[in-house]
Amino acid sequence: MPSSDPSHENETALIGRIQRGERELYYDLIRPYEKRVFVIAFTILRNEADAEDAAQDAFLKALKYLAQFRFESRFSTWLIQVAINEARQRQRKNHLEIMRPIEDQENEDGTYTPRDFADWREIPSEALERKEVREKLVAAFGSLAQKYREVFVLRDVEHLSIEDTSQVLGISVGAVKTRLLRARLMLRDLLSPGLEAISVSHSQIPKGTKPWS
Amino acid sequence: MVVKCEDVWLEISNYFEGKLDPAFKRAMEEHFAQCPQCGAVRDGMRNIIQLYGDETMVNPPAGFYARLHDRLSDQIEGQRGSLRGWLVGLVATGALAALGLFATVQNRFVPEPRAQMSQPARRMPQQLVAIVDEGKTFHVPGCPYMHGKYRMVTPDEAIREGYAPCNRCMYESLRSAGNTEPDLDGEEIASSMPAAKREGPSGQNQVSRPGI
Repeated sequence: MPSSDPSHENETALIGRIQRGERELYYDLIRPYEKRVFVIAFTILRNEADAEDAAQDAFLKALKYLAQFRFESRFSTWLIQVAINEARQRQRKNHLEIMRPIEDQENEDGTYTPRDFADWREIPSEALERKEVREKLVAAFGSLAQKYREVFVLRDVEHLSIEDTSQVLGISVGAVKTRLLRARLMLRDLLSPGLEAISVSHSQIPKGTKPWS
Repeated sequence: MVVKCEDVWLEISNYFEGKLDPAFKRAMEEHFAQCPQCGAVRDGMRNIIQLYGDETMVNPPAGFYARLHDRLSDQIEGQRGSLRGWLVGLVATGALAALGLFATVQNRFVPEPRAQMSQPARRMPQQLVAIVDEGKTFHVPGCPYMHGKYRMVTPDEAIREGYAPCNRCMYESLRSAGNTEPDLDGEEIASSMPAAKREGPSGQNQVSRPGI
């Protein structure tokens, strides 16, 4: 009887059984990753409906190609790669790249300087139960350029290692670290102090005053 | 070691990753104690990491899991359909295999020898053998005791048609093939064929057809 939260070993066995024809076990295999795939798709698409469609397509595609999965990486890493590709593909289809923030094309050579040094009170996780807090966090996150959102969500939301993040996104470990640093500092600036500043949307920030410019 | 604010801003993310050189980390912590601005950056980043790392931060919309499973079940059901197709194919293959087995069992019945005094083969030759329609024994091609127009068949076919091995040419052939004591004239007719088959497959797939 497969576990609903299979360890890596169980997961390997589960994949083997699915590859041999027990396809109904696919539900057990993906259960731990259902939300994760949605969150990653949402990170890229910033729209719940699109993210849901992309997540469904990603799971279907993973099922279709599971027979070709050769355990060269962890299943979770492979699945996240599938999800990211699916979301990016949908993004291209929706022509969302036209609306991509200008800093997406920026190089990462310059150093980032924090702009706000206000002291932060510790915000307990219980604050997330408040709808407005959650909305502000999501809005701030959504205002980041995609390359920062992708790295941030994989490392800080999904808790992938730096190395796995690098592998999933196909970028160097150094690039992951640089983007992660910037994403964390940008979010801090956007949400500081006391979550008040984050209602300022990306387009409302006057040119030349963006903290990462 | 003394670190400046700029050094802290560059390494603050790695500080939370726990991947700093211990001496540099100590120097950063000393700096935090003296620099409220960098202390605020550190505290803010810690908040960011903790808040966004909370698993309740982003949630799928209501009904997401049910809709996902619905869509997956369509796909998996479809593949079950394919599985049914495979099963049908498998059953058909099994039936064919059973027929083949039946034919093989049929072949195990030893035919009546063409000549009453002939002895059946106990060891199977590994090459095609020559038979003459009017004859009663099968031969190695070129055997001086074979006369008339011959055709090449497998030893199985020859035996099924009632031919017995030629005591001369087949004896020599089997001996040169490594049978130190070829026994062509045993008496256990019924057991001879299976025993011979256990020694190896019939010559049909094993030997190259002679150029005749």
